[in-house]
Amino acid sequence: MRLQLKDPEARKVLPLRRQLMAASCALLSAAAVHAEDSSDQKSDPGVLSKLLNGVSLDTALAYYHEDGRVQAVEPVVDVNKAFANGQSLNLDATFDVLSGASPNGALTSRQPQTFASPSGTSLTGSKHSYIVNPGQYPVDRNYSDVRGAAGANWNVPLTRLTSAELGAKISGEDDFISATLNASVEHDFNEKNTTLSFGISNEFDRLSPIGGTPVAGSDYSLFEKTGNKTKNGVEALFGVTQVMTQNWIAELNFSADRFKGYLNDPYKIASVLDPVGNTTGYVYESRPEQRTRKSVFLENRTASDQFSAALSLRYMQDNWQIRSDTVELRPRWTLSDRNQYLEPTVRWYRQTAAYFYTPWLSSTVQVPEFQASDERLGAFHALTYGIKYAHKVGEQQDTQGSELSVRVEYYQQTFRQPEAPLSLQGLDLLPPLKAVLVQVGWRF
Amino acid sequence: MRYRYLSLGLLLGWAAVVAGCSSMGVKPWQRGVLAQESMQLNGNPLDRAIDDHLYFSKEASSGGRSFAGGGCGCN
Repeated sequence: MRLQLKDPEARKVLPLRRQLMAASCALLSAAAVHAEDSSDQKSDPGVLSKLLNGVSLDTALAYYHEDGRVQAVEPVVDVNKAFANGQSLNLDATFDVLSGASPNGALTSRQPQTFASPSGTSLTGSKHSYIVNPGQYPVDRNYSDVRGAAGANWNVPLTRLTSAELGAKISGEDDFISATLNASVEHDFNEKNTTLSFGISNEFDRLSPIGGTPVAGSDYSLFEKTGNKTKNGVEALFGVTQVMTQNWIAELNFSADRFKGYLNDPYKIASVLDPVGNTTGYVYESRPEQRTRKSVFLENRTASDQFSAALSLRYMQDNWQIRSDTVELRPRWTLSDRNQYLEPTVRWYRQTAAYFYTPWLSSTVQVPEFQASDERLGAFHALTYGIKYAHKVGEQQDTQGSELSVRVEYYQQTFRQPEAPLSLQGLDLLPPLKAVLVQVGWRF
Repeated sequence: MRYRYLSLGLLLGWAAVVAGCSSMGVKPWQRGVLAQESMQLNGNPLDRAIDDHLYFSKEASSGGRSFAGGGCGCN
């Protein structure tokens, strides 16, 4: 939700900015331009100029690297067009290329462990299997994926104080397709100092895991696989935005969502250990087929002449008995020439474990109906430290220029260590996750 | 369990502070600071989207600021 605080006049476009946009659009549509004859090209600038009026473009390229695990490259483009009648259209596109080593859920062992790649049908063949050495954290080193996503949001003013927004998003990977529809309405009152909003979202997902969908809770060595699966979700979000003072604004959101269907990670297994700690086998994870989450989110923003800060808090709980707290602080210092700013970030996150989370299973008791060793369902805390530097170009009074930015973040998860069986003592069973994100952005 | 209700406690504390405010809101001509880019609640949407995707794929929680769905098979 958003309070419209900016003077519409401030959205006037500088000639320089428009030229930059035209140049970018020309580059993006180079093939089409080449196909046109010279007379058409002469008429382009006028049409292009009209089309670009009210357009803003936000682009970023992010590189994400986990220590010894996954890395990803993610280009993102976001285009916003403001129409003269007050409507606006936002289009975005994201592309992810991921590769590296992904944890498979099994536990580190004193013995070598043999696993099959997702397309494998046997643990004995060498073509579709991999071996993890004693003492090493089990990861599939051949992990790779490509994701493409595109979204559109259309905002329509219904009255002077009420607006509605409709949105759609589609996302696809090798083994996953997702479609989301959302609708929301917001209303300003109290001299536009208060905004109430309400929205609903529906998500439809289809999973087609490589090699088939494993039967939840089945023995890993039996390769019991079935066909494609689905999961669907619905979410409602209610929000209040309040202008508190001349330099303080607050937002409070309540949200609830419910997902039903196949909620497992089809590539995750859990080790089965004997009382001493020797691995006797593996089973595929088995999560409940329904999950309901509720969250409360609060953000406060305050600013003075050259300093501003955003502080957000979030509390979430679900029917898997996971509870989480998130605190994030983003102060911003505008440097003396007002064209540059520095924005550090500190984020603290903590979650409790799902009631069915277990780092491993015992061979002496029956495998429970619901179990998962996916560390994302375990108890851990995470810290993020980051800093962003941005430089504005061509910005003058009442006009927007372009902004170049560089952002670096360090993220670390630290897990609660389980009490290890005798033969596994001394091993780092749940090593911390350490990741770095580097992002370059250009907005104009 | 010490932190079990940390967020809720902070939220209630914030509510108490707000309740203590004698007046809230501003007149249209007092919105100079509120119009700054850094005061926009939806500012820097790409930074948010990239961060949210990272956290969605690594943590059990998502959303709050906006819808929680991820459209990603990573979780």
